[in-house]
Amino acid sequence: MASSPRTGRSSAAIGALVVGALLVLGVIVVVVARVDVGGIGQRIVASLYPPPAVTDRAVHIRDLYNTVFAIAVVIFFVVEGLIIWTVVRYRRKPGDDELPPQTHGNAIAEVVWTVVPSLIVAFMFVISWQTLNSVEAISAQPQTKIAAVAGQFQWQFAYLAQDATPKKCEDIKPEYTQFAPTGEGGGLYVPAGRTIQLFLCSPDVIHAFYVPQFLFKRDVVPGRMNTFEFTIDKADAGGTFRGQCAELCGAGHRLMLFEVHALQGGDFDAWLQKQIAAASASPPPPPSGAPAPSGEPAPSGQPPAGGPALQISAFNIAFEQTALQAPANAPFKIDFDNKDPGTPHNVAIHEGSPTGAELFKGVIFPGPAKKTYDVPALKPGTYAFVCSVHPNMTGTLTVQ
Amino acid sequence: MATTALHPAAPAYRSTLYDWVTTTDHKKIGIMYLINSFLFFFLGGLLALGVRAELARPGLQFVTDQTYNELFTMHATFMIFLFIIPILAGFGNYIVPLQIGAPDVAFPRINALSLWMLPLAGILLILSFFTGGSAAAGWTSYAPLSEDRPLAAIGPGQDLWIVAVVFIGTSSILGAVNFLVTIFKLRAPGMTLFRMPIMVWTVLVTSILVLLATPVITSALIMLFIDRNLGGSFFDPKFGGDAILYQNIFWFYSHPAVYIMVLPAMGMISEILPVFSRKPLFGYKAFVFATAGIGALGFSVWAHHMFTTGAVYLPFFSLMTFLIAVPTGVKMFNWIFTLWRGKLRLSTPLLFALGFLSMFLIGGINGAISAAVPVDFALHDTYWVVSHLHYVLFGGSVFGVMAGLHYWFPKMTGRMLNETLGKTQFVLMFIGFNMTFFPMHQLGLMGMPRRIADYAETAGWNDLNLVATIGGFLIATSMIPLLWNVFLSLRSGKPAGDDPWEGNTLEWATSSPPPPYNFDHLPEIRSERPVFDARWGPKAHGTATAAPAEH
Repeated sequence: MASSPRTGRSSAAIGALVVGALLVLGVIVVVVARVDVGGIGQRIVASLYPPPAVTDRAVHIRDLYNTVFAIAVVIFFVVEGLIIWTVVRYRRKPGDDELPPQTHGNAIAEVVWTVVPSLIVAFMFVISWQTLNSVEAISAQPQTKIAAVAGQFQWQFAYLAQDATPKKCEDIKPEYTQFAPTGEGGGLYVPAGRTIQLFLCSPDVIHAFYVPQFLFKRDVVPGRMNTFEFTIDKADAGGTFRGQCAELCGAGHRLMLFEVHALQGGDFDAWLQKQIAAASASPPPPPSGAPAPSGEPAPSGQPPAGGPALQISAFNIAFEQTALQAPANAPFKIDFDNKDPGTPHNVAIHEGSPTGAELFKGVIFPGPAKKTYDVPALKPGTYAFVCSVHPNMTGTLTVQ
Repeated sequence: MATTALHPAAPAYRSTLYDWVTTTDHKKIGIMYLINSFLFFFLGGLLALGVRAELARPGLQFVTDQTYNELFTMHATFMIFLFIIPILAGFGNYIVPLQIGAPDVAFPRINALSLWMLPLAGILLILSFFTGGSAAAGWTSYAPLSEDRPLAAIGPGQDLWIVAVVFIGTSSILGAVNFLVTIFKLRAPGMTLFRMPIMVWTVLVTSILVLLATPVITSALIMLFIDRNLGGSFFDPKFGGDAILYQNIFWFYSHPAVYIMVLPAMGMISEILPVFSRKPLFGYKAFVFATAGIGALGFSVWAHHMFTTGAVYLPFFSLMTFLIAVPTGVKMFNWIFTLWRGKLRLSTPLLFALGFLSMFLIGGINGAISAAVPVDFALHDTYWVVSHLHYVLFGGSVFGVMAGLHYWFPKMTGRMLNETLGKTQFVLMFIGFNMTFFPMHQLGLMGMPRRIADYAETAGWNDLNLVATIGGFLIATSMIPLLWNVFLSLRSGKPAGDDPWEGNTLEWATSSPPPPYNFDHLPEIRSERPVFDARWGPKAHGTATAAPAEH
């Protein structure tokens, strides 16, 4: 690299540059602070930060985010300011046809902008590693153990015994299973102020357990049991936090919602005892869907359907009904009886013909078992019902 | 050079079409690469408009969940595999032989084969829409979702997708071999490695990445194909496979692929910035080493796409991901100090190059933010990541492609593009781009996951999604001045002459468009700016080495 003879102007220019960059930074800070009065600036600034953290780990992650984001903002304004200032300052004047000084490089400058960024990223790496260690820590004696089971397209939460130490998903023996991930009485109930260990299991494809206010997600991988721990702040008892699957898992991905309800420790114990007692009093989830919700999230957020249920059954890889009728413009239920042992089936409704657009897809499950699907309201017309697993299983649904 | 024997004149019945379809001329092949890539750019853009239209308001208005999954899967597939990667190969095809003073690439027939595999793959992908639905498991096609037909509701589209991507990979590998041999064996006398234009260096490093990484994804795809069709069990845990294995193999290619998608664009703006600021590139050798450094480090960061799987050693991949920011930062400062104290001519190519600098900066910085593993736990698979990748691949690569298009269009056609239309396109695209993708940072922080067709009205995501959708349609609008500009220019554009921009490199030493054999005569090559030297003489060069400018 050849370097050009230094001119006296360059140091002055570099000084001006630094001042310019600092000015840009200062102006932005002032603008943001001023506009805060109207509340808009405050909202914009707030939207650049994660939502309020409700777990101990989330607080660590938020603190790390704040540091890393502050460094990023400073770098952004310095470099972007440098670009803008350079472009404005060094525009070619009309008629100016002279060559500028032919600077080929500067070894000192190259060293500076190699070493300084290296130090910055080394610092960021060290602080993020420290945070990582506290986020990933697993205690020997967690106070509550729960398995989150994610299947297409629904969450279930299995509450484990205090002394349970599952090594893989097959080991999990729940004391109580919460089948409904959202809605009345549904959701993941957890005690605030206690350490909770969550085991993640999937019977089909990869999902991800994600609660924005935990500032955390962890993949739910079939064939592998991921584990993590968290403690919800006692002050957040009584709160409900929205959760959602964050890894594409098929056509119903967006429907995999769940709610986390934080209860006071004592309230949680009472809730769990009540659920265990209720579950042992009546047989496990009644297949007809009533009185407890069967657990299927209502598609498109429709309320649970009322009215009579359609009866559909599958046997020998075929539907036993070929033509059915349903009321128009009202949600309805389908009682689906899968009589094929070990073979998965479901009922999906397609527009017009079996190859038409899919309007509803029931959960796929192996027989022999029964499930009740909540189907959203359909317009009058002719539809096809099919099994998503076996496209040759079809029937006609007339809606009037 | 002057004694090349001419072929007998082609028979008159050979049409222009026949001529283009059978050509082995790297320039015609390069132009066909560009045309093919732009077709898929527009197609992929239409699919993106479908995605944005659906997300503009809560509720499913236009498509079903399954169709939505097809839209974003095929949007990414077209944009990555049939637009960005091939268009950069197309520019390389046209420009690299010219810049090193070669008459053509080393293997012209293989070059034609690389080109024609692309439309073939594209047709397979388009056909998949008519065979019961295209692939719908995301462009990443994670197993076991991409394997299990009943659970994923994916038909033969996924198989067509696999075959098409293997074709495209093969095309890339053949192209890479061609570039490497061309660059190492066909340089003109005097064109030493350290006098090669940066564009050529970036194509060189990219070709090495392609050669090392692309066979790996091909193996992953073939395993997936065996799992799906021939009873294999590589990736399905139900039969003893490993779902994470697929991700490891996939990202071992697909992270270096990010550099395959951005390095040549970096090379293009490294040509443009010096020309339009009338200065040499600041720190040429540092730039070459930074490019090589990015290429090497690029192979050690793949698992930062897998931080949340719970199956990778996090500190190592975090450290390497942070480290790769350093050579990228070196490049950024070298670019800025190329402009520094220059005499900037703010023509359209420079505007797009500046767009690259300022937007790629954001993509780089938010890449470093998500290298902090715990922060990535919050951001992974949310819209924040969608924003990050578009700031790199759109803010970076697409702005670079537009800069290169406006810069080299006069060389390729002999006609200038209209400056007013070019600037209009830039302003629309720049505003639309930021409107579309900046709000996605905020949506991601609020917790909006990627790849969902709909969201609850109460989630608080309505306004930002609407802004992003308007921005998306603004980007689409910015394509109108581009197309109109190209049309007008081809019909009645101002003749460009050999060297409209006062270029530095050898492509400006021949006519526009160049003759089939490229050069009647070459200027003497004594630096990385032979045409500059010829224009200004050795004194202007800054280095005091006395050398005759003319011969």
